[in-house]
Amino acid sequence: MTTLTERQSASSPKAPRRRPRWMKLPSFALAIPAWAWLFAFFVAPVALVVWFSFGYKPGIFGTHANDVLSFDRYAEALSPTFFATFQNTLWVGVVGTLICLAISIPFAYWLAFKAPVSRRGILLAMVMIPFWTNFLVRTIGWQIILAPSGVLSEALQSIGALDEPLEILFTRTAVLIGVVYNYLPLMILPMFVAFDRVALPMREASKDLGAGRWSTLFNVTLPLAKPGIVVGILLVYIPLMGDYITATVLGGAKGNMAGQMVANQFQTAQNWALGSAMAVVLVLTILTTVAIAALISWLAAWPLRANQKLVLGDKS
Amino acid sequence: MTVSAQNTMPAGSAADHANADAANTSEPEGSVVIEGVTKKFGGAVAVDNISLHVRPGEFLSLLGPSGCGKTTTLRMLAGFEEPTSGSIHISGQDVVGVPPHKRNVNTVFQAYALFPHMSVAENVAYGLRQKGTPKSEIRERVSESLDLVQMRSFADRKPTQLSGGQQQRIALARALINRPAVLLLDEPLGALDRQLREEMQIELKLLQSRLGITFIFVTHDQGEALSMSDRIAIMRKGRIEQLDDADSIYDSPASAYVAGFIGQQNFLPGMMTSDLNVMESPFGVLRSVIPHPELEAGVDAQAAVRPEAVTVTATAGTSAATAPTAENRIAGEVLGVSHQGETLQFLVSIGDGQTLLSRVPRPTAPRLAVGDAVVCTWDATSVHLFPSEQATQAQADIARAVSNPAPPTSSISL
Repeated sequence: MTTLTERQSASSPKAPRRRPRWMKLPSFALAIPAWAWLFAFFVAPVALVVWFSFGYKPGIFGTHANDVLSFDRYAEALSPTFFATFQNTLWVGVVGTLICLAISIPFAYWLAFKAPVSRRGILLAMVMIPFWTNFLVRTIGWQIILAPSGVLSEALQSIGALDEPLEILFTRTAVLIGVVYNYLPLMILPMFVAFDRVALPMREASKDLGAGRWSTLFNVTLPLAKPGIVVGILLVYIPLMGDYITATVLGGAKGNMAGQMVANQFQTAQNWALGSAMAVVLVLTILTTVAIAALISWLAAWPLRANQKLVLGDKS
Repeated sequence: MTVSAQNTMPAGSAADHANADAANTSEPEGSVVIEGVTKKFGGAVAVDNISLHVRPGEFLSLLGPSGCGKTTTLRMLAGFEEPTSGSIHISGQDVVGVPPHKRNVNTVFQAYALFPHMSVAENVAYGLRQKGTPKSEIRERVSESLDLVQMRSFADRKPTQLSGGQQQRIALARALINRPAVLLLDEPLGALDRQLREEMQIELKLLQSRLGITFIFVTHDQGEALSMSDRIAIMRKGRIEQLDDADSIYDSPASAYVAGFIGQQNFLPGMMTSDLNVMESPFGVLRSVIPHPELEAGVDAQAAVRPEAVTVTATAGTSAATAPTAENRIAGEVLGVSHQGETLQFLVSIGDGQTLLSRVPRPTAPRLAVGDAVVCTWDATSVHLFPSEQATQAQADIARAVSNPAPPTSSISL
């Protein structure tokens, strides 16, 4: 009995205990670890790359020097041989993202709205399962399928669709197939979440008010799912533009991509200055194309917004 | 099944029913005729062969606990579900197979379902825009519609900036802008607090009588149903137990379930005598004036009496002359007294582990304390007799409904 009262009095002081003033930290302190991480692993390396890109390769054994600054490495990076690779990269990036989009939107829509709820877990797992295998191993797997003497080629020949072996391995098409396969789940998942969060009553309310399927899709479902769709596109387009494993394994000489070129300059040619300039060009290409795409989609939705807009203003 | 089908038939609608097929095209705007509708989800029967005739301009409530089929019925009227069998006519038109956007009905959803990416005015305009109404007319009618719910000054805000009650009004304005023949309301007041709910009840009723639109109102709250409806359909396990106006449902319940579900009821067990108005119970003889058609001499029965029908009088100090006279008298002892504001509630032990609840208006209430010996009296007209099995089942169902309040239908999980 006595011990109990003692313990009670010890654990419940009359006034709530205050932390001493010196122990209080400003609230931005919560973000310090994240800022430190961002600075050390993003800002500093990018700044270093930009700095190197203005330098030059001093000799056979040096990788970079910055005592003379110039834009020469940029001119070099955009010379015809390298420029073709940038064009190729942009083509694979844009077409690959569009193909992913064409597959992901209907699939995620179907998964969120039409697939039986009891099967969703399994269907989502099927989207995820390829991720359990190493990226490189999966890509090499496609080499076996796409090879002239591979499964696909033989199958097409046996049904008479082709007269001679399929020659697509080590071409841009093979790279395209590879990147679509590798990045598709990254687009499907955020889009599924986005569609799933568009509550059923919203869609029902739209239909209830006289909107058909397509009108509901464009007026309610897509606008509400937009953030997830944008995330999906960026999550695929940005890493796809920088991808070099897929291009190395499936592209060969014809299916060259910028990521490979940058890696070559750093690792094989030991020319860090040129590699840095190429990396900066790649980053700028990505930023520009994303900005252009955003502008196009904003303009495309203009008629819809204008039609929807209704401002009544103050009652007069 | 035939029993419940008969129960669903409102007084005087037998003639309408007979003519229903012939007179389809001449059915007035705003009528709803549900004929033998069943809805199954997989093997589960959600709505079980119900028939319901709603008159044009009527305020009809579908009242029942969660899972009784009321929301499914509403969704079949809106077009979000198709009946497994049976027919539905709205304003005389067969709507089975007609998609929601082609029906002349609109819905006020439980969680309002306002579009978060549109302003209040744009939400309200949505229905008109879908019809291709000219923009100048849209402006005018949106303005009018917002005036109707006193929300004109909120036109350019986003729904997320509004309180629950304000969102409710916008949802109402949005659903009414297309001037539907029938307005469907799915527990629209469920998310509001009590005071706001009571205000909205009055407003809804006023709006309905002003517009003359048929309202079909789904609720699990009997207070809402009783206060607003012209008629109430009490649903249980996919069937309609009783369809009648509030007075009739309260005073002459068609079944033990309705008796127990609406308001409160004391159920006392006993056995029927050869006089089918009289039940022998361990507490004394109980008399009624309305014999139940299923009861016969010697069967177990239960007598239902409402707490407000029971008068409590102290035994001490009352002579035979001053003792109240009534057909039913049971002696007991006060177990508890509770103050309910305008009434006092007495819980009286009448032996055998049985208690009796009595509710008396405060000015006329006797001053009684716990332990006082009392006599409870009530008239035979306030007693309803039901077969014992039906009454026990009904009480179990009601207890289950009370312990599982309706979950919001908007909750969707992965």
